[in-house]
Amino acid sequence: MNAWVQVLIKSVSILILLLAVVRLMGKRNIASITPFHMVGYITIAVLAALVSTNVITNPALGLIPLGVWVISIIGLEYLALKSKWAHDFIYGKETVLIEHGRVMEQSLLKARLTGDELLRMLRTKNAFSLADVEFAVLEATGDFSVFLKSDKKPATARDLNIKIAPLAEPQTVILDGNILNDPLASLGLARDWLGTELEKLGVSLNNVFVAQVDSSGELYVDLFDDSTQNPQPKVREMLYAGLEKSQADLMSFALETQSKSAKAMYTKNAEKLEELLKILKPYLLK
Amino acid sequence: MTVASQVKQVLATLKGSQGTIRLYAAQAQEEETRAVYDEAMETTTEIIHDLEKRLSVLEYEEPHYKGN
Repeated sequence: MNAWVQVLIKSVSILILLLAVVRLMGKRNIASITPFHMVGYITIAVLAALVSTNVITNPALGLIPLGVWVISIIGLEYLALKSKWAHDFIYGKETVLIEHGRVMEQSLLKARLTGDELLRMLRTKNAFSLADVEFAVLEATGDFSVFLKSDKKPATARDLNIKIAPLAEPQTVILDGNILNDPLASLGLARDWLGTELEKLGVSLNNVFVAQVDSSGELYVDLFDDSTQNPQPKVREMLYAGLEKSQADLMSFALETQSKSAKAMYTKNAEKLEELLKILKPYLLK
Repeated sequence: MTVASQVKQVLATLKGSQGTIRLYAAQAQEEETRAVYDEAMETTTEIIHDLEKRLSVLEYEEPHYKGN
């Protein structure tokens, strides 16, 4: 047999074999694999290359180590899933570099990091001042995780005691001027609804590049025509303003009226409306 | 403008708002949002009811302005 035919056959079969093997080894982000996995992947790749380019002439001699590596990697992964101890042994454990705001110099030495490198890694996590860091850990994959002191963390709506309306992810209903039926149906809306909404905004379907509906049923559109401003619905603000005006009117009626019972009725309803406005505010004003 | 017509104006605004709220209640995806809008519907209905009662009293008091 010609040498090139041999190489061709081997290359094709190794390619198919590797495709199957990679599938078997599962999903893993290549940027965050442990050193052990990296060594395994490289060894498998090199063995495959050596067999397919005929450097290892006897296929058995190439396939046996390939099989050993693949099976042992899969086996060890399975073991690591079952036992915490095995997991730590195979993949290594995370190293705590900063605890209670103090740098652990011993751990730094163990991870072979200089103070300079530690500061650089902190900076990538937006912690420019060491004083802001409560806890930092070097993960087994080499990723760096930082836990800021509680007063240095970004404030959430909960911290600020602000009530926020719950919002699920928006659905894209128009793309490139085409109506997407499935997302529209998942929101329980019809094409007619979309047509009326677009008409309200005064835009035609083929001028819409993207349109999204949020979970409160509001439509946001981006137009092909960039010279005009994207028309955005103001219905919510209008509704809030209308209710607010009604509340103010009720208050003035209460002041103006001569009848005692009417005064009480106006005041009571003005209060009710005020209460309602407070509840509706997070939903209507965003 | 008479008191009756002012009350009528507020009634119109409230009824319009209620229509919009009803629409939002129907569109809302989350249970919590729908509950808030449903509550808003109830409150506005109560207020509208009270105002309509007051309006009939006013129209009785100022019959010559009725319909304005």
